[in-house]
Amino acid sequence: MEPICMAFAKAQKTRSYFKGFQVQLKRRSQGKTDYRARIRLINQDKNKYNTPKYRFVVRFTNKNIIAQIVSASIAGDHVLAAAYSHELSHYGLEVGLTNYAAAYCTGLLLARRILKKLEIDEEYEGNVEATGEDYSVEPTESRRPFRVLLDVGLIRTTTGNRVFGALKGALDGGLDIPHGDKRFAGFKKDNKQLDPEVHRKYIYGGHVSAYMNSLMEDEPEKYQSHFSEFIKKGVEPDTIEEMYKKVHAAIRADSAQKKSEKKQPKEHKRYNLKKLTYEERKAKLVERLNALNSAKRNNDEDEDDDE
Amino acid sequence: MPAGHGLRSRTRDLFARAFRKKGPTHLTTYLRTYKVGDYVDVKVNGSIHKGMPHKFYHGRTGRVWNVTKRAIGVEVNKQVGNRIIKKRLHVRVEHVQPSRCHEDILLRIKKNDQLKAEAKAQGKIISTKRQPEGPKPGFMVVEGALLETVTPIPYDVVNDLKGGY
Repeated sequence: MEPICMAFAKAQKTRSYFKGFQVQLKRRSQGKTDYRARIRLINQDKNKYNTPKYRFVVRFTNKNIIAQIVSASIAGDHVLAAAYSHELSHYGLEVGLTNYAAAYCTGLLLARRILKKLEIDEEYEGNVEATGEDYSVEPTESRRPFRVLLDVGLIRTTTGNRVFGALKGALDGGLDIPHGDKRFAGFKKDNKQLDPEVHRKYIYGGHVSAYMNSLMEDEPEKYQSHFSEFIKKGVEPDTIEEMYKKVHAAIRADSAQKKSEKKQPKEHKRYNLKKLTYEERKAKLVERLNALNSAKRNNDEDEDDDE
Repeated sequence: MPAGHGLRSRTRDLFARAFRKKGPTHLTTYLRTYKVGDYVDVKVNGSIHKGMPHKFYHGRTGRVWNVTKRAIGVEVNKQVGNRIIKKRLHVRVEHVQPSRCHEDILLRIKKNDQLKAEAKAQGKIISTKRQPEGPKPGFMVVEGALLETVTPIPYDVVNDLKGGY
């Protein structure tokens, strides 16, 4: 049946359209999960029964980088360890929290954290000095390395994407992640080879300092506005590499999560309306009807008075 | 040209996905684990083309006899002529669901073990056998209840012809 309306055109969405409409899976409709990829990442061999398959999840928000080690279960995914780029302020990094270098730091932090949790951090130091070369963990005598699979989510995997910065950080941190060097920053398609010098530059924020320098020369006003936070914290283009070296060292020294000193407020702030009870809703209705009736009565009285 | 009796003949509706349930299969299908000896229902998922069982086995229940990387070996009974053969198939996990046919006895085993343990502790002898429902017990009709006798009324021609006369 077509809805009766004043349109001159034929109603497009009929009742039958709605009755036959199949909604997408929730997270697909929210545009957050790629189920095709997810099925392939999570699927564990049946003859391995309950052995968990871990994913190295990297997600970027506008101001943060989130790296997690997650295993899937029917009740819901279970996060083993997580690292956020806003934690990097504890290690001496306050600005540029979403660039390639920060992604490297976050990946590194997560790797050290999970290895510490699993008590193999001494055994698998990883690549202490970041050289930008392709590095894969070698299994030691006693315990095998911790294997995770990179989960990029919905991002476009182009060469030099920050996701691979995080991947590099995790690899250098000592995790075993199957990968190739094709998508690291500095891979030249012509040579089909990774240029470790270029990759190293990106890991230490060389591309950022180069841009800072070029802006300082050509457009100093844009430099002031674009890098205002850097200037405020006193980060100069020459000191960037040093800064990142220190952050890496600090992460390797102590990767434990620091509890924030803020106290939990006794009453949490409500972000949505509280649902009313049945009595409250009925009372509200009675109130509204009374108001309507009295307003009508006043109107009638006014009309009578006017006449 | 005649219709043909191919592998998937006459499965247009049988293998079709349910109304408004088309598209990607939910992840639980892939996260379930199966052990040898479990009972499973074979139910074909038409969107997964690999590892499909033959249409005969759709709706059958069998026991798991093998577990491989992506598939489960299921042993299903099939009547062929005058005998029942145990057929062994390999089916991808998307076409298999855990069966609840065995659920009742598993619960009963658990409960009975518990009861027997309690009885042993108290030194009593109990029987955990299931008993069939017996005849309903007798009861007294409520005092003061009136008996209403219902009988058919004699046929009345005039009344019935009212409509069509």
